[in-house]
Amino acid sequence: MRLTRRELLATGSALAAGLAAPGILRAQGVKEIRMIEAGGKSGDSMEPYIKPFTEATGTKVVRESPNTFGKLRSLVQAGQTNICLFEAGSTSMEQAKALNLIEPLDWDAIQPEAMYPEAKDPMGFGWQYYSTLMAWRSDAKAPKNWADFFNTKDFPGKRTMQDRPYGLVFALLADGVPVDKLYPLDVDRAFKAMDRIKKDVAIWWSAGAQPPQLLKDNEVQYAVSYSGRVAGTPGIDYTYEQAILDLAYLVVPKGANKADKAAAMRLLREFSKPALQLEAAKIISYTGPSPALPAMLPKDRLAEYPTVHREKQVIHNVKWWFDNADMIEKRWQQFKLSL
Amino acid sequence: MRIGRNAGSYVVPLLVLMVVAFDVPILLMLAQSVLSPHPTVAHWAEFTESPIYFRVLGNTFQIAVITSAVCGLIGYPLAYWMRGLGGRAQLAVVTLVLLPFWISILVRTYAWIVVLGNNGFVNRSLIGLGITDRPISFLYNQLGVTIGTTNVLLPFLVLPLFAAMLKIDERLLQAAATLGAPRRAIFWRVFFPLSLPAFAAGLVLVFILTLGFYVTPAILGGGRVPMISNMLDVLINQMPRWELAAAISTLLLAATLALYGVYRTIAARSAS
Repeated sequence: MRLTRRELLATGSALAAGLAAPGILRAQGVKEIRMIEAGGKSGDSMEPYIKPFTEATGTKVVRESPNTFGKLRSLVQAGQTNICLFEAGSTSMEQAKALNLIEPLDWDAIQPEAMYPEAKDPMGFGWQYYSTLMAWRSDAKAPKNWADFFNTKDFPGKRTMQDRPYGLVFALLADGVPVDKLYPLDVDRAFKAMDRIKKDVAIWWSAGAQPPQLLKDNEVQYAVSYSGRVAGTPGIDYTYEQAILDLAYLVVPKGANKADKAAAMRLLREFSKPALQLEAAKIISYTGPSPALPAMLPKDRLAEYPTVHREKQVIHNVKWWFDNADMIEKRWQQFKLSL
Repeated sequence: MRIGRNAGSYVVPLLVLMVVAFDVPILLMLAQSVLSPHPTVAHWAEFTESPIYFRVLGNTFQIAVITSAVCGLIGYPLAYWMRGLGGRAQLAVVTLVLLPFWISILVRTYAWIVVLGNNGFVNRSLIGLGITDRPISFLYNQLGVTIGTTNVLLPFLVLPLFAAMLKIDERLLQAAATLGAPRRAIFWRVFFPLSLPAFAAGLVLVFILTLGFYVTPAILGGGRVPMISNMLDVLINQMPRWELAAAISTLLLAATLALYGVYRTIAARSAS
């Protein structure tokens, strides 16, 4: 391997910085920090960020999962301070803010590289974009949009949808509501559209691993799925057309140990580096918050990634879902009872 | 009395552990329904004003009734048959009934998907034999949940019932036969009444256990069979409305304790 002089210099200075940095950070004496994340492949895709962090600082990172919201509430209420990072969906983060369960990030300490603006929340680091989209067996007739997905006459087959009310957005899109008129959601109209399809929804799934498995087993032919679960899976097709784009955040539980939190801020800097986000995106087809990332993604797999298709998708309206959480949950349970 | 006092001092630490680590937290949790964030009946009011929670409770009780009935219909003849078996065969059958206890409930539940799914063993056989031309929906409905709960809970009915049947004095049956009773009359007028307390206690036990089922409806119900544990999961982990969850849990606990009282009464009668 031949190195140009410039590369050699760059490598040398990086090495020097690497040698100098641990001394400073080790002085804080944090041996390990603990975080709670979503688990599965998405959790594994944190390793590319953790590895350089641990090499540079000597601080180990212990990951735990799953990240149910109740866990955040209980650990804060119990005064447990040893978890310094918690992964929360965008709606969960709003709930956490309202319930006073999280504390602000120290963005000055993070010193992040360029990030999409919504990912740089005062209370949360948006680390991973994911989409909820429609997927189907390759041997089934391909739908183009939600109107097709809800049209069980021309697209016969069983469906599976998420056992959460977010699918109401798809119901409205299927019913002909234009994307810019979606919010505030016309809940009555959405449930009416849901009533039309409910007898063909064989399974309301609760774990992200279910839809790809149900498609593979031919239990259903069409599915609402998280993008990363189906992207690149043989035998399953999908489209980002009219998908919901959402962002998972890393937040700091209120009262987290100060030294741990400082180390966590240093770890978040790694999360902002596009080169590491590229490594993470190879593990699961979700994308990090760097605007530079889409141009770096492998060309042959470009179509798999959520942020590449930003314009085709609906951005998850966190505020509406947060404001209406109680009402919508009751309506949803009522709907479920009518199945 | 020395021995008794010593035994007591051994038990006290355990008792303290139970109270501190288990009972107090449960009471604190239940108290949330009236004390959080300040003394209030708002959560109970919300609970009683929303028909959904009662309907889910009703649905849960309905599944519990069905599961108990099915367990009874399968379990009683099974236990009766086991009673009549010879030594080695009896041991083998008891082992077979016990076997599921050694396998994780999660594995057993998923196994039903392999057996009863659209592409599962049963449906492929039925289609192969020409009995049906499209797969029968065994799963992702109330039938699927009932199959799952029955599978898990059957041993809870069979084993105590079998033990109780073994204790029934053979001489009573012989006496009835000597007096000229036909086999059917011996069963219905002597054997069955003697086994009834244990049978009823087993049914109540199955009923109580079904009320708390979470994994089975989550996996085999396909999200279409709402049961109270799954609703509590949403209220605790996703909403999070712990106060409301506490109110529902309190009611569930009260119902379970009442049923436990029934169970104890019946079991006491069966023992005497």
